[in-house]
Formats: sequence, C-alpha cells, structure tokens
Amino acid sequence: MKLIKHQNRQGFTLVELMVSVGLGSIILGVIITASISLNRSFSAVDKFFSTHVQQVRILDYLNRDVKRSNIAEISADAQTISCWVPKYVIQPGDSDATADNINTRRTPTITKKGSGYQVDYYPSTSSNGPGGTSTNNSAVVYSISGQSILRTEDGVVTTVASSTDQLVDQVTDINLANSGYLSTVVSFLPVFTSNGANMERASTTVYSTAYLRNLRRGN
Amino acid sequence: MKTYVPNENGSAIICAMGTILIISIIGANVLMNCTTRYNVTSKQVSAWRNALAAAEAGADIAYAETRKTFANPAMQFTGTGWSSPNSSTGPWSYTMPTPIGGSGNLLATATVDNFTTVDGYRCYRIRSIGTARVSGLRRTGMDDTPARVGASFGLTGARGGGDSLVRKIDFNFDHFIATYGDGDGNNKHVVNVPSDANGQPIAQVARRVELIAVPIVLPSSGAITTSGSFYGPGSAGVIDSFNSTNGPYNPNVAKGGNPLPQFYSDSRDGNVICGSSSFTSLTGEIYGNVTTDGATLRTTRYIYGTVDNNVPVVVDPQPAVTPPPSRSYEASSPATITPPLNNPKSGGNSPDSWANAPWYLYSNVQDVTINPVTVNSTPRETYVNIVVNGDINTNLTINKGVNVRFYFAGNVNIKVSNFSNGNVDGSALLNIDGTTSTNHSASAHVQFYGVSPTAPGATQTVNLDANGKPTIEALWIVPGADFVSKGNIMMYGAVVCKSFYENGDCNFHYDKALANMMPPKDYRIASYVEDIR
Repeated sequence: MKLIKHQNRQGFTLVELMVSVGLGSIILGVIITASISLNRSFSAVDKFFSTHVQQVRILDYLNRDVKRSNIAEISADAQTISCWVPKYVIQPGDSDATADNINTRRTPTITKKGSGYQVDYYPSTSSNGPGGTSTNNSAVVYSISGQSILRTEDGVVTTVASSTDQLVDQVTDINLANSGYLSTVVSFLPVFTSNGANMERASTTVYSTAYLRNLRRGN
Repeated sequence: MKTYVPNENGSAIICAMGTILIISIIGANVLMNCTTRYNVTSKQVSAWRNALAAAEAGADIAYAETRKTFANPAMQFTGTGWSSPNSSTGPWSYTMPTPIGGSGNLLATATVDNFTTVDGYRCYRIRSIGTARVSGLRRTGMDDTPARVGASFGLTGARGGGDSLVRKIDFNFDHFIATYGDGDGNNKHVVNVPSDANGQPIAQVARRVELIAVPIVLPSSGAITTSGSFYGPGSAGVIDSFNSTNGPYNPNVAKGGNPLPQFYSDSRDGNVICGSSSFTSLTGEIYGNVTTDGATLRTTRYIYGTVDNNVPVVVDPQPAVTPPPSRSYEASSPATITPPLNNPKSGGNSPDSWANAPWYLYSNVQDVTINPVTVNSTPRETYVNIVVNGDINTNLTINKGVNVRFYFAGNVNIKVSNFSNGNVDGSALLNIDGTTSTNHSASAHVQFYGVSPTAPGATQTVNLDANGKPTIEALWIVPGADFVSKGNIMMYGAVVCKSFYENGDCNFHYDKALANMMPPKDYRIASYVEDIR
C-alpha cells in the first residue's frame, strides 16, 4: 500500500480571519479604553485627594494659629483672616535680640489690666494690629491670591494651598461667629473639560472650628 | 490510514485570564496608591492633632496642681508622676505614668515653674510636651506646601518644597532636641525616636505648649454665684457683662452685629454659677455660661453660652472682719463720714488705700453719707471701712471718689431709689497723691460683705426694692444671704450669695473689672502659646 503524504492544508477562511481580527480589535479596544479610563480615574482621584490634603492642611494651619492668637479677625468679605499671635521665640531683628539669644524662648511679663493679669511676651510694639493699632504680637494673615491661599507672617509669605491641574481651591466663607472661636469653611471646585469647555463642579467642603485660647479682644 | 487531527484548542481562556490579570494589576495599583496616600496622610494628620491633645492633657494636669495653691497647698505637686528637686520652690515635673489615647499611643510630660511673682502671688509657667506615635507607613511629603507652584507664587515670593511644614514628624530623630535642645539652645543632641520590638524606629510627633497660670483676683468668675437656688431673669430682664475699664455699659454691645461691636467679647461673660439643682430660668436673656449642680433646665433658648448641669459649687463663708491689731475704730459713728486727710489712727496716713482706710463701727447703718477727701475742691480716691453689727438700710449716699467696704452681720434692706453711688463707670479720678487711679469701676467702689451667720438655722437677707428704674452699682459678697431683687432694677457689679431671686425686668450687668479688686482664691490660664518650631 502506498503511503499518502497527508498535508495539512487547513487554513482560515477570509471570514474567519475578519471575525477574529474584529473580535480581537474589540477586545483590545475595550482593554485600552478601560486602561485609559482607569488611568484617568486614578489621575482624578490623585488630584482630588491632593486637593483634599490641601484643604486639611489649610485648616491645620488655621487651627494652630487661631488657637494661639491673642486676637483674630476676619475681613468684611470673609476672605481674609488676621491673627495676632504672641512673639514667643526671639527672632533676628527683634528689639530684644542679641547674638546669644536668637531662637530662644522669651520669659513673659505680667501686668495688671482691666480684667485681670495680662501676659505679654514681646516688650516692643508695632503698628501691625487691627486697624493699624499698636500690638506686640506677630501678625499672621491668611489671604486668597488667585487660586492659592497664602499665609503671611510678619511679611514672610508661605503658600499653604494651591490649585492643581483641574482643581480650584475656594474659601467660600470664613466667619468669626463669636469672638471666642473661628469657624472656617474651605471648599474647592474641580474643573473638568467637557466638549472643549471648562466646567466647574461643586466638590468637597471642609468645615472647622478653632477656639482662641487667649481671649484678649477688647482689652 | 493515519490521519492528522487538527489542534483546535483555542487560547481564549488564556487571553481572558491575561486581560483580567492586566486590569487587576492596574486596579490594584490604583488602590494601592490611594490606600497608601490615605493611610499615610490620615495617620500623620491624626497623630499631629492627637499630639496637641496630649500636650494639652499634660497642661491640664499641671494646671490642676497650680489651682491647689490656695485650696490645698499641702497636696500640691504630690500626685503620681510628679517630682521636683525642691518641692516647695520647684520646678515641678510631671511624666504621665501610662499612655493615653484610644490605642495607647499618646504620652505627655509637663514642667511647672514659679517664674515670677506678682502682687505677692505666684504665677506659674506650664510647659507641656505631647507625643503621639505615628502608625502606618513611614512616608514623608504629604503635608508640605504644593510642589507645583503657579505664576502667582513667583510674584508673592512664596516658597514650596519643605519650608512650610506644618506637621513635623520625627521618623528617626527628635528634630527639636537636635535643633533647639531644651528650647533655648542648651544641650542640643541627637536623640533617637523609640524603637519597636524589632528595633525599628517608631515615627512620632511631638507638640509643645506653654501656658501661664495667674491668680484670679475675684472670688467668683461669674456675674452671679450661688450655693443654693437661682431664679431669674424676668421676661424683660437680662444678665450680661461689660468691662468698665473700657467705658460705661452699652446695652447694644451684647446684641452683636456685623461687624461685631468693639468690646463684644466683654459682653458675653454674664455667667451664672448655681450650686444647686434648683435653677429657674425665665425668658430673660443670659449672655454667659450657666452651670448648675444637677438642675434640669426648662429651656436653654435664652442662654447665649454653654450650659453644664454637673458642676458642684463651693462658696466659702465670709468671716467677721475687724481692724488689724495696729488699728482701731474711729471715735464716732457719724451720719456723714468725711475721712481725715491725715489720720492719727492710721499713723498719720491719708485714706489713700484699703490699708490706710479708717475703720468705722456702727450698730446699724441708715441715712449715712460718705464724702471723699478733696484736694483743691476736687474729690480724690478715698477709702473707708465700715463694720456693721446689725442691719444696713437706706438712705445711703456714697459720693464720687469714695471707696467703701461694708462688713455687716445683719440684713440689708435697700430701696434702690434712695441709694446713691456717685462714682461713674469708665472714668477714673486722681488718687490723693495726684496720680491717676486705675479703678474705673463704680461697683468696685461700693463693696458689701455679709458676715456669714454661724448660728444653726440663722438666715441673712439682702433685699433690693426698686422704685421706678433706679440703678445700683455694687459688689456683693454675701455667701450666707438670700439675695432678693424686686422690680425693674438696673444692677451693676457681681453677686456671691446663698440664693438669688430676681423678678420683673431686673437687669444685671457684671463688671469684669471687678476681677482686679479682690484677693485671689484660684488660678486661671492667662496665656497659651504653642512652640511651633
């Protein structure tokens, strides 16, 4: 019997190829789309999270400064907070600074005032108080500049929060509801691009209340 | 015949699993990033805030010890955790014996020193350090200023990248001791943070606060303090506060506004401290805090402060007062008192202070006028002590410049329209020596001290009766008396009594300047700073 070489001549038909290529493209498209979506989602979450971190940071700064303030006031448009904090540590340029005492703590003086004994750390005064009045405190001012929030202490500016690519910080309300505490609301509005136009959406709002530990208003 | 069977096994399942794997890896990566950031940030923020709570807890424990200066000096700074190289002069150190906090990750240490003395009384400086362990991953950079800065930052000179850390976390070494030593640059050295059982350093946050405790020079921190019941104010009445150092009382200040009136905060200390469960508040406003000892308030709608119904109150009795050994009473008990300028009974001194004030003794006081010393026909601040073994009745005329203390054993019956205090809130006269007085309070000029009855069941009363709408400015320290105010009286000052009753539209305005007028019996925190280095 003669051996017959049975060659494998089976192949894909054109239809099969087209179907398989089509299915493969769809699957690949889904994977790519999912990856891009995930990437975008991750990016959005990352930026959202970063902005939330900034919100928390703003409030931590504010709470720290308000707590140690002798006086805290807000501007009429509720967009600027001014705190006057005791000058606890001797800094270069202070009237009592010497070569040896920079970065050391002051010993306070105590004097009798109208409502009891008053504690003062810094012996000199300057016209940096509310309405240009004279105080012996450091002036710390929180203000909004563009899409950032600045903290200015005795002229030194620090940015405590800024916008990221698509997020806008906004202090919507800062209210001195009572002389004893300061209520703060920090919101941000993420900006998304839709059909070529930027669209804002209301996003998280963080509320905070800080109590002044030094009550020297009106004294 | 040998046939070849084509291999028709597909790789679909492998492809599907690969796809799932890829997507899972991407998803896991997203989750891990988010979780890592959340984990680090939340725990670092939490630890930073908890460290302050620990520091303040340490400061509170130390403050509690300073308050024993008057009440229980023998037990001061003697509790668990306290030590001192000199127990009488300090400084005194406290180390929390066991950690606190939900997971036992907080510790506090405190140091108290008597850094200065004012008017013979100690002032305490409390320095407290609160430490919180930072759990979770050891990562940095989450609390720094934004790494990316925009155009506006360049204009303002703002900085980023590490200059503005609000939360300083020590991952390996205590940055404060290494940089500032004891806080004043002494003994700088490198200190490792604590390690866990495997020798791995445990990140921590330490926050430092400094508080100054000073004496309270008024025996009560409230407008009205009772050891017993309280009733009032009426529907048209109000209890609020002001500070005569800043001027006379202004009824509009307590109402607030936008912007807030100047001295607004001084209007919200009309505190009522009731040491009983018998507290009846009507519909008059109380611009201050209310504390009771077990009362159930019908409503807190008219109370513009905090309410705490679990505060026991101890009101010390007022002892009888007589002239000091070196002094004696004046010879007579005149209907009109004009203290001598140079009084031989006080060593020839003028009545320019409570120490040099003449002492008068009355069986009862009624229809009495008190005049000040005058210099060039103008009244000067003049001081008078009057001991009354019986009652005090109107008419009473205290002219401008007179500071008088009544120590009475009987009762007080005052028709307020027949009571005159010529001193004016917010204004200051000259002292006899020509210097300007610091006493701006009309109520501080007239002080009533009711000697607490010692006989069992004995009662003492203070009755104020209005006629029209008269005003009365006075300080009332009458711990054994039932204090009754009837009618539309306008009262200025402060009251410490056994029970308090007011009806009608009686208004009570606590003068915070009185805080300076009395010997201290307690301490308060006058300053709070945080060392943010």
